[in-house]
Amino acid sequence: MDFFAHQDKARKNTKVLVVYFVIAIACIIASVYIASLLIFYGVHAKQQPGVPLSEFVLWDPKLFLNVMLGTLGVVAIGSLYKTAALAKGGSAVAESFGGRLVSSNTTHPEERKLRNVIEEMAIAAGVPVPKIYVLDDEKGINAFAAGHAPGDAAIAVTRGCMTLLNRDELQGVIGHEFSHILNGDMRLNLRIMGVIFGILCLAVIGRILIYSRGGRDRNPLMLLGLALIVIGAIGVFFGRLIQAALSRQREFLADASSVQFTRNPAGLSSALQKIGSVGSQLESPRAGEASHMFFGNGLGEPFFRMLATHPPLAERIRAIDPSWDGKFKNVSGAPVGNDASGGAAVRHGIGVQTQHEFQTKE
Amino acid sequence: MNTLLIVLTVLAALALVAALFVVGIYNKLVGLRNRFKNAYAQIDVQLKRRYDLIPNLVETAKGYLKHESGTLEAVVAARNAAASANAGAAANPGDPAAMQKLASAEGTLSGTLGRLFALSEAYPDLKANTTMLSLMEELTSTENKVSFSRQAYNDSVMAYNTQREVFPSSLIAGTFHFTAAELFAIEEAAQKEAPKVSFS
Repeated sequence: MDFFAHQDKARKNTKVLVVYFVIAIACIIASVYIASLLIFYGVHAKQQPGVPLSEFVLWDPKLFLNVMLGTLGVVAIGSLYKTAALAKGGSAVAESFGGRLVSSNTTHPEERKLRNVIEEMAIAAGVPVPKIYVLDDEKGINAFAAGHAPGDAAIAVTRGCMTLLNRDELQGVIGHEFSHILNGDMRLNLRIMGVIFGILCLAVIGRILIYSRGGRDRNPLMLLGLALIVIGAIGVFFGRLIQAALSRQREFLADASSVQFTRNPAGLSSALQKIGSVGSQLESPRAGEASHMFFGNGLGEPFFRMLATHPPLAERIRAIDPSWDGKFKNVSGAPVGNDASGGAAVRHGIGVQTQHEFQTKE
Repeated sequence: MNTLLIVLTVLAALALVAALFVVGIYNKLVGLRNRFKNAYAQIDVQLKRRYDLIPNLVETAKGYLKHESGTLEAVVAARNAAASANAGAAANPGDPAAMQKLASAEGTLSGTLGRLFALSEAYPDLKANTTMLSLMEELTSTENKVSFSRQAYNDSVMAYNTQREVFPSSLIAGTFHFTAAELFAIEEAAQKEAPKVSFS
């Protein structure tokens, strides 16, 4: 795997997607402008029927300026509000998922191993050691990094991740999470979630316009409200599409950076293959809002592929190891967790099932 | 008279630009030198931890490996030699003689440790000992940390050496005695013997 080439490609794609995002906002401003132009001229024509159509000008700088400032203002205020609500330190996020802090002098062998691997990767990535959490209730193999700056970051791994992966595989997963910390992915995602919320605010304002000024004489405002709702809904949809595409690129970037840190593509590829047979689904009800932060897809295959926050597993494995034969690894070689019987059931039963599902979907 | 003034001003401006250029390169060299020295400090922390762990390991293994005292003594001797070589290298990171001495001492230490681990394979009681298990986990991790910090050190030495050798900063490096720094490369032969501690 030429990890530098893969990283460059992912970074370039990210930039293209951010440009799309800016274009999307420009489109929203243009739509609002055109909508208000049409509505106000329509009203004008109705009130003064004598005015000829030739006075209909497409370019009205004053109106455009008002629309632009108004739209940008709404989006900015909305996104600031949302960002402030979401901007919690890494440990707050990890705790909200039921994470248990792993102390720095733990004697539990598996926690010790996890801690050591994270300390090693911190050196390889050149960032401070983050706070470490274990999600005891999650049996799937998954992990996430949270926090805005390397200084307040936290890494949480599921118990399945800690017990089912060996040292090399764990190193690959942790390297991936360090890439999210190092490349500022949490910050990028937070900003984009903020802007999407801001676009949503346009629709909300549209609804307020419809209901609060519902009188017949206020027809133009109601029309504008309707237009805002439609534009807001379309904007949010495209915003989500771009956000998901961005998230997928950052996953590829993180995989490539993980290989850069560990210089061991086999570890990461084998961890991904184990996810293929064990699964990475999360039981926490809060998994949905944070799915983009996880190592693997926390929600299962989404209904609509373009809204997926993670690339398909097979695609990620092939990017690391082009000679992969398409068969997921069995977990049998890995150490068994505390509940030997439950763990075994997961390994044999679900392992075969998901593999089958996966192949039919491909 | 007027032309002389102009020529003088131009010359002064050129001299100022040249001086700023020299200062810039000098500062850059100092920055790069400090960076690899700091990178060495990171290795130093990990190596010291490794030297602290080894006596514990030997102490734990002693009870089980009564007939292998020769190997245990070799480990202790190699550990002491490596610790003193590290002290020399830490005093003057990048110094070729000190770095080569450390690299060869580390190579010997890894070799003797490898022999100890190979021996312990034959003693199931020792392998099952929880103290031994946790010591070996710590040692594996420290080993990895050393190699990751070695990567960082070697990268920054390379950046420094390149800056030192390219023209025109080579002139300034020569004038102000920026000496070449040495990579921390553990020899091939020793690397092959590096302890294999696997828990999978």
